[in-house]
Amino acid sequence: MRAASGMNSTASASFAAPSSRWVTPMRLVVALGSAAFVISWHIIGVNLHSVFSLQAAADTWKFVSGLFPPDFSWEFLRTVFAATSQTLATAVAATILSIGLGLPLAIFASANLWRRGVLVEAEQRSAGAAVLSAMSRLTRAVLGFVRAVPDLLWAILFVTMVGLGSLAGTLALAVAYSGLIGQVFSDVFDAADLQPLEALQSTGATRLQIFFRGMLPQCLAPLTAYALYSFECCVRAASVLGLVGAGGIGYEIGISLRLFEYGQVLTLVLAFIGLMAITDALSRFLRGRITRRSLKTATGQRTFPKLGRLGTFLFSLVLVIGVGGSFYLSGFRPEVLDQQDLIRHATQFLLGMMPPDLRPTFIYKMSYLVLETFAISFIGTCIGVLFGAVLSVPATANLVFVNADETARHGALERSFRFLLYWVARLVLNFMRAIPELVWVLVCILVIGIGPFAGAIAIGFHTAGVLGKLYAETMEEARQAPIEALYAVGARPFQVLLCGIWPQAKPMLFNYTLLRWEANLRVSTILGLVGGGGLGQAIYNNIQLGFYPQVATMILLVYVLVVATDWAGDRIRNYYWQNQAASC
Amino acid sequence: MIYALDSVSKVYLQGRTRVRALHEVSLRVTGAEHIALLGPSGAGKSTLFRLLNATIRPTHGAVLFEGRDLTNMTGRQIRAVRQRIGTIYQQHNLVPSLTVLQNTLCGGLGRWSLAHTLKGMFRPQKPDLEKALSAIETVGLADKRHARADELSGGQQQRVAIARALMQDPDVILADEPVASLDPRLAEEVMDLLIQVAHENQRTLIVSLHKVDVAIQRLPRVVALREGAVEFDAPSSQVNPTLLKELYSTGTPAARKEKNESGFRNEFNCLS
Repeated sequence: MRAASGMNSTASASFAAPSSRWVTPMRLVVALGSAAFVISWHIIGVNLHSVFSLQAAADTWKFVSGLFPPDFSWEFLRTVFAATSQTLATAVAATILSIGLGLPLAIFASANLWRRGVLVEAEQRSAGAAVLSAMSRLTRAVLGFVRAVPDLLWAILFVTMVGLGSLAGTLALAVAYSGLIGQVFSDVFDAADLQPLEALQSTGATRLQIFFRGMLPQCLAPLTAYALYSFECCVRAASVLGLVGAGGIGYEIGISLRLFEYGQVLTLVLAFIGLMAITDALSRFLRGRITRRSLKTATGQRTFPKLGRLGTFLFSLVLVIGVGGSFYLSGFRPEVLDQQDLIRHATQFLLGMMPPDLRPTFIYKMSYLVLETFAISFIGTCIGVLFGAVLSVPATANLVFVNADETARHGALERSFRFLLYWVARLVLNFMRAIPELVWVLVCILVIGIGPFAGAIAIGFHTAGVLGKLYAETMEEARQAPIEALYAVGARPFQVLLCGIWPQAKPMLFNYTLLRWEANLRVSTILGLVGGGGLGQAIYNNIQLGFYPQVATMILLVYVLVVATDWAGDRIRNYYWQNQAASC
Repeated sequence: MIYALDSVSKVYLQGRTRVRALHEVSLRVTGAEHIALLGPSGAGKSTLFRLLNATIRPTHGAVLFEGRDLTNMTGRQIRAVRQRIGTIYQQHNLVPSLTVLQNTLCGGLGRWSLAHTLKGMFRPQKPDLEKALSAIETVGLADKRHARADELSGGQQQRVAIARALMQDPDVILADEPVASLDPRLAEEVMDLLIQVAHENQRTLIVSLHKVDVAIQRLPRVVALREGAVEFDAPSSQVNPTLLKELYSTGTPAARKEKNESGFRNEFNCLS
């Protein structure tokens, strides 16, 4: 009886679980997304003719053929070496400065030390304590602001303040990364185990004593790991900063592009990729050591081998020379710092920004730029998702190779074809990812001209590399057992992708895409500094014209935009994860 | 002749060490036979199944399916063969985030074109849907058809796996420990179901089992694997406790042999 009624009601059942509502979250997202796409498309003036034209093809060919052969002349290699070491020095000095600046702020921003919890609970509710608590909250907000403003924006501000050169870059990175360091470090402090701190307090220790003897030792491993990661990011940023006049590899890339010396560009890009690869590997090695050490504390194993007295001396010597040299190279030189008008100029600039131009008419005028910035990030992300998704399929090992036994079944020709397909896809993705967005902008400008469309395509290329790699890795991590079952049914790789891998990977793919869009919005505010449209372009123009109050307003707008996106992204992600179990 | 295996061996590389999963296994399966596969854990039962459904290739020897060598086929041919062999895995191997209905529909993938698959993701064709629903009906999960696979109990997941195999409508059903994770009543039901399904369409059925009594009672032929080799292959009526004790005893073959001999001596002593 039950069976019969079941059959009748299901004969017309749809594939998905039946829903009584006409408006489902999925349909809403699709509708909003399509609307945003159409509007964004319109705003940034996507001109497909300019991409798919003979002229564009000729320009692209001119550029690509110009890249080869790369310029390996002795003369130029010296320039490359100098630029690379300057970039590295900038990163080292900026990281040290940002830790020096960020650590005290992080301590002061920590809620557990000053605002709530067991350490402050017993204290008198005096005016002093209230002020301290408010100051701590304020510090946290300032860190949030410093972090939300993109590093390149800091760079152009410092270039205006202290002039062209790597000193501006170093200071900019020091400030930008102190925001990041401060925020992350204070999060780490707040995650510390409070019980040992309570014990220390009961001995009568002061707040700072508690910090140094109880909190810091607990947090040392994650702090070091994060500082190393931050150094990695710093090297990447330091290479790009030069594009707005702050020295290093980026500066040389900008010059070579303007001189149409594309061979030199390729050499510089290769140097950049090499520098990044070495830094990544070194940082990953050290971080791995540190986290492994902190996991097995009881084994008595040392994180790093013990050095003898001579070893310690030599190590310290190298360290001192390295750090000192970095500061020297990155612009902390007497002749740079001694300029009479350095301080005067800087204060003049800062005071010039006060008060920001908050007239409604001006802000209304800016709203179109905000929209344009948003549109660049949206179209850019869409392009990235499209290319990334297409490239991620041949870059997924369990789709291309199936398994070792399956591969052996194919003929030698097909096997080598699959191998080639996989490695070419991986190589293309890595290359797209390695080139920073700003360099992509400069390349795109050569073909389609200055403007928001170039910015969107640039973001799209970089995003395709980042997302394609993440997509492929996520799909490779899908559970293998169901996939084996589908192959055993006689399914082809594409069917396995659709019915076995996609349903498993979908939530993570969505998550990564959303996170990347947030990052892209941040980037799209600065693309304009090199000609990619959006708010950045207006900021650049206004700085050139000396309209500093307007610049201040635009920086505030960037802050609002970034914070709003982070907030919206968090909400969407939470909503999505909560509804994962219910409907898929 | 459905299957013909001639001294088939399979060696896995686990890191640097070579693991011998199967060693010179020979097996003949003619027509719609129903076979129980016995053997202790790690005897190579799952490896044998993966050889039989053309997921892996033997290191030595050949697996013939209806007289054709499975190791020497193009991708298209191999998919055509796989489509005719339904596998029910020990761990069910369902796609966790798909519903019962969607998982069942996956059984049809081997027959579908890419366009058909894409269309089916949004709106499956009526014949497919009816077939899937009747398969779900057969395993008694009609009221759960829209539940996600990872929300089901182990027994229910097992039945979805059977429904997927029914959807596939194969000529051969390979079931790897289909009742291992079920309580006795459910185990009985699932075995009934498998045997009934196999009888109806004259299908070949090979079931690996841990429950020896079930195997001997329900299936006419028993193949026993031990340490990757066939220990015995006999009609169930001829399987006796001594053979089974031998099969599940521990120790190396040499040690067993020794024990055997001493056993004989004991018997001899008793007789005298």
